[in-house]
Amino acid sequence: MIAAAPIATPAVDLWAIAPIIALVATGVGLVLIRALLRRNQAVTPVCFSVAVVGLLVAAGLLARQWHRVRDDGPIVSLADMVRVDPFAVFLGIVIVAATLAGLLLAYAYLRREDLEAPEYFALLLLSAAGMLMMTTANDLVVVFVALEVLSIPLYVLVAFDRRRLRSQEAGLKYFVLGAFSSAVFLYGIALVYGATGTTSLSGIATFLAGNTLFEQTTLLVGLGLLLVGLGFKVAAVPFHMWTPDVYQGAPTPVTAFMAAATKAAAFAAVLRIVLTAFPQYRDDWRPILWVLAALSMLVGAVAALVQNDVKRTLAYSSIAHAGYILMGVYAASSRGREAALLYLLVYAFMAIGAFAVVMIAAPGPDDAKHSYDDYRGLAVRRPVLGGLLIFFVLAQAGVPLTSGFVGKLELFGSVAQAGETSDYVLLVIGVLSAVIAFAFYLRIAWTLVTAPDDDTAVAAAYSTRPRRVDGWTGIVLAGAAALTLVVGVLPGTFIHFARDAVFF
Amino acid sequence: MTEFYRSYLAVAVLILAAIGMVGFMLGLGRLIRPVRAQEQKYIPYEAGSDPTGTFGQSNVRYYVFALLFVIFDVEAVFIFPWAVNLESLGWFGLVEMTIFVVVLTLGLVYAWRKGVLRWA
Amino acid sequence: MGFPLLLAIIVTPLVGAVVVALLPAARTEVAKALGYAFTGATAGLCGYLLWHFQAGDRGFQFVYDQPWIPGLGVRFTLGVDGISLFMVVVTGLLFPLGLLASEKYITHRVKAYVAWFLLLETAIMGIFLTLDLIAFFVFWELLLVPMYFLILGWGSARRKYAATKFFIYTGLGSAFLLASTLVLGFLHQADTGVLTFDFRTLADWNGLSGSAEVLLFVGFMAAFAIKAPLFPFHTWLPDVHTEAPTAGSVVLAGVIIKMGAYGFVRFSFELFPQASVDLAPILLVLAVVGIIYGAVVAAMQTDLKRVIAYSSVAHMGFVILGIFSLTVIGIDGAVFTMVSHPLTTGALFLLVGMIYERLHTREIGEMGGMWNVAPVLTGLFIAAMFAGIGLPGFSGFVGEFLSLAGAFLYDRPFAIVAALGVIFAAVYMLWPFKRAFAGRASGAVVRMKDLDLREIVVVVPLLALSLFLGLYPKPVLDRIEPAADRAVRNFERKTDYRSPEESRDRRDTERRVEREQRRAEAREGEK
Repeated sequence: MIAAAPIATPAVDLWAIAPIIALVATGVGLVLIRALLRRNQAVTPVCFSVAVVGLLVAAGLLARQWHRVRDDGPIVSLADMVRVDPFAVFLGIVIVAATLAGLLLAYAYLRREDLEAPEYFALLLLSAAGMLMMTTANDLVVVFVALEVLSIPLYVLVAFDRRRLRSQEAGLKYFVLGAFSSAVFLYGIALVYGATGTTSLSGIATFLAGNTLFEQTTLLVGLGLLLVGLGFKVAAVPFHMWTPDVYQGAPTPVTAFMAAATKAAAFAAVLRIVLTAFPQYRDDWRPILWVLAALSMLVGAVAALVQNDVKRTLAYSSIAHAGYILMGVYAASSRGREAALLYLLVYAFMAIGAFAVVMIAAPGPDDAKHSYDDYRGLAVRRPVLGGLLIFFVLAQAGVPLTSGFVGKLELFGSVAQAGETSDYVLLVIGVLSAVIAFAFYLRIAWTLVTAPDDDTAVAAAYSTRPRRVDGWTGIVLAGAAALTLVVGVLPGTFIHFARDAVFF
Repeated sequence: MTEFYRSYLAVAVLILAAIGMVGFMLGLGRLIRPVRAQEQKYIPYEAGSDPTGTFGQSNVRYYVFALLFVIFDVEAVFIFPWAVNLESLGWFGLVEMTIFVVVLTLGLVYAWRKGVLRWA
Repeated sequence: MGFPLLLAIIVTPLVGAVVVALLPAARTEVAKALGYAFTGATAGLCGYLLWHFQAGDRGFQFVYDQPWIPGLGVRFTLGVDGISLFMVVVTGLLFPLGLLASEKYITHRVKAYVAWFLLLETAIMGIFLTLDLIAFFVFWELLLVPMYFLILGWGSARRKYAATKFFIYTGLGSAFLLASTLVLGFLHQADTGVLTFDFRTLADWNGLSGSAEVLLFVGFMAAFAIKAPLFPFHTWLPDVHTEAPTAGSVVLAGVIIKMGAYGFVRFSFELFPQASVDLAPILLVLAVVGIIYGAVVAAMQTDLKRVIAYSSVAHMGFVILGIFSLTVIGIDGAVFTMVSHPLTTGALFLLVGMIYERLHTREIGEMGGMWNVAPVLTGLFIAAMFAGIGLPGFSGFVGEFLSLAGAFLYDRPFAIVAALGVIFAAVYMLWPFKRAFAGRASGAVVRMKDLDLREIVVVVPLLALSLFLGLYPKPVLDRIEPAADRAVRNFERKTDYRSPEESRDRRDTERRVEREQRRAEAREGEK
């Protein structure tokens, strides 16, 4: 007979996980609404409104949390597994904003492609809930659970356009590689647990600070596997192979969401794990990140040069952007963290803006035509839309007076501040990659402003009626453009925002 | 080699022995058995009846049911330990478990309304 | 602080670019008119700047200072001294003329052309006026965008190749510029605890180790030498010149290739004095090679525009020669050449553009006999040609002479070899002239029309100004000299380099500077 000794249940601060609860509840509620209003015509608008309200509630809760954790220090709850600090809230806000964009973009898109809207909204919100969990996770097990919660809906979302073969292929590819990387990550957790006896991030740090390991191989292999697993999610070279296919194949709103939000969530985990749990092993993980950053920047930029598909080019460029952000992690300083956070924020909006235009501008009914020829002369035919895409790609290139420039400058600065010779080498690699990237971004811009050479192409382009920009997409485009411009011209506020957020 | 790794030595030896055993038995069979090729011998074995030529005999509906089964299987795995400790977990545990079951039930409702449970 | 004049000079064309970009595409007349209005207004502001510039002042004037990116200590600091003053003024002058010259040549997508052209002016003005290294890089990089689009959109046949080449070369250079700038800023922070990219603060700081200084100098040099263009980094220049539209060529030859030289004087000298002194011989050798090489290759060309393009390589050789002679007189000459070269080469490019509009070719072999058919064109071409060669009386002579004098003081062999370049210049200009203009007219040349009034109005001011400066260079030299003197003093203060110039000359300069300063103070006192 087991003694009925009372089991100590951990204190639960619901306030700490309120945004996550809001998203999960909305997601589950959507499924219920969908089930109940099966044949009702109003089901899509109702679900859409509910989803928007849920996201706004989550955003409001995050905003309240922001002031509290910034002024009174982090909230640690649920047996030290959840840690709500400015860092988490900052990235949470980025993620919720990106989710909102993914939602608004999808409304017209799903109707146009004739896809199941309510399920899409539910999956999007559940994935976002996983991402929020990821930002607050203070335990490797929670990180893993969050990784799964964010990934599984994403696998479905990527394959959501199930009549289109490329979307299915992308979904399968992402699923197989994602599952593989989860397994690798899990193995890493096991090894780290074996070496330190705990999975809590702060626990690992305390253990490592207090004990000298007799034998480090287990721990280092574990750390390496953790980085490999997360490397898949952030799409760092050499774990990037899925990125171009998935970004190209996924429905465009999903691509926008992935580029913006998944990156933020995965980087939250990377930053927290290496900086909170393994500060003692700085000299061991920094070279790994050096290599990842350098490879990502170079391979991403060079591969993007030779693409003939706009969506694919943007996918490769997102690999390069992951490399830039890795530089900030590599710097392992307060400035580096600040720069990485700022860049995650500005990149989210640049990427969403660019993909939003891509979503509208692609000719043909099924979101499959994205070659450079399909985009030729867009800025001549539709000046506003084409102009916006030019603006977003130039921002990604880091042209001055856009947020991309400020972000890149901060990241390069953080590496320059580190001050070792190897740092300078990485700095030069980064700047070179930025120059190469400039070339293909300008190529996109150039494609947009030139009229097609032969008349048949012009005729074809003009014969298909241009797609209207619906109101929701318009809101997303305006918001993304405004933020990109404001951060570029007056970066002060946002830099302070990111600076407040560096605290774990 | 540390003590920690030495304890795994037995595992390694066992794995090697297993591989060796299989290899030995298959190799021995190959050496001593007579080989007389007949076409029938190369037909896949399907419960004694001749294969019909196409794959995909299992209906996709089985898969959906299997999936539903797995969900409730996992639910049971969580509910048993909770039930054993129900007294010590108290109201907190009850509320948590209720939420858990409700969420799963919602999934079932969804599946039902989507027509998953109908066979035809 | 009164009216932010320098800010206005940068912002006016930017506002113009935005306004023009927002026009409907069909209103080409409005776009053109606005283009003239905004470039004209900028030119007016430059004239105002020239008028109110204090000649004897060694430091920066009209300083404007605003925080920009607070987290990185980046500020938006503008200022002008004797070296940048004339680059700004020349830019202000060339842009309306360039627009006027494009009048006939640019017929499609006029609105976009005008908008990019105005943005280009903003970038150039920014480069010459900022005193913050990051802001400098911003404008340096911003320049790429309009230039890329101008070449691609309105260039000739091989424009894609040219635009890409221009892009790759200058992009690589600016990559090293940014890296070095950041490293410099953070080294300064590590030493003093203050994170700033303000040029004046960094120039006053003396904490760089020798090897770091050399490496950073090389990093800056990568950007400046490519842009200058210094031999052997010059190969982009002829291609881009050939393919760019006429106004693009004029601006390119006039101001863009001066940025490299400007960068050396402004930034490399003051930030890395020891490295500048140590590496000067290498740069002098490259400059001399550039002078001879540019001249020889120019003489070999069959395309009239390429002749002028390669002559620019040679002229820029003289500029670098003067700068790295590390003497007041040499730097004087270099900056003076930077002022005079846009006038002469600008005129030549404009004339070649006009010939091209008539004959649709730039091959010298297909010309011949233009003298009889188009006497006004020929007359202006002769004047421009002699100005380009550096005939005494034209401004080119003054600059080259002073540069050579500086090099002579530094080390004689450099000056002697470089002087050969002056003779080559006569060869590469006169020979094509003979083939293109003398002889009997044939083919398309026979029906060629002479210049009309608009075209004369475009070219004559440049040549007149060149003649004026050639005859009376004093007002320009008076304003350059204090800044050049500051650069050389900076070397003497921070390194054990001593200028070989006669002490009497230096005292003269000194005295004049003091006199001017007293006068300026007196003037201030009266107010």
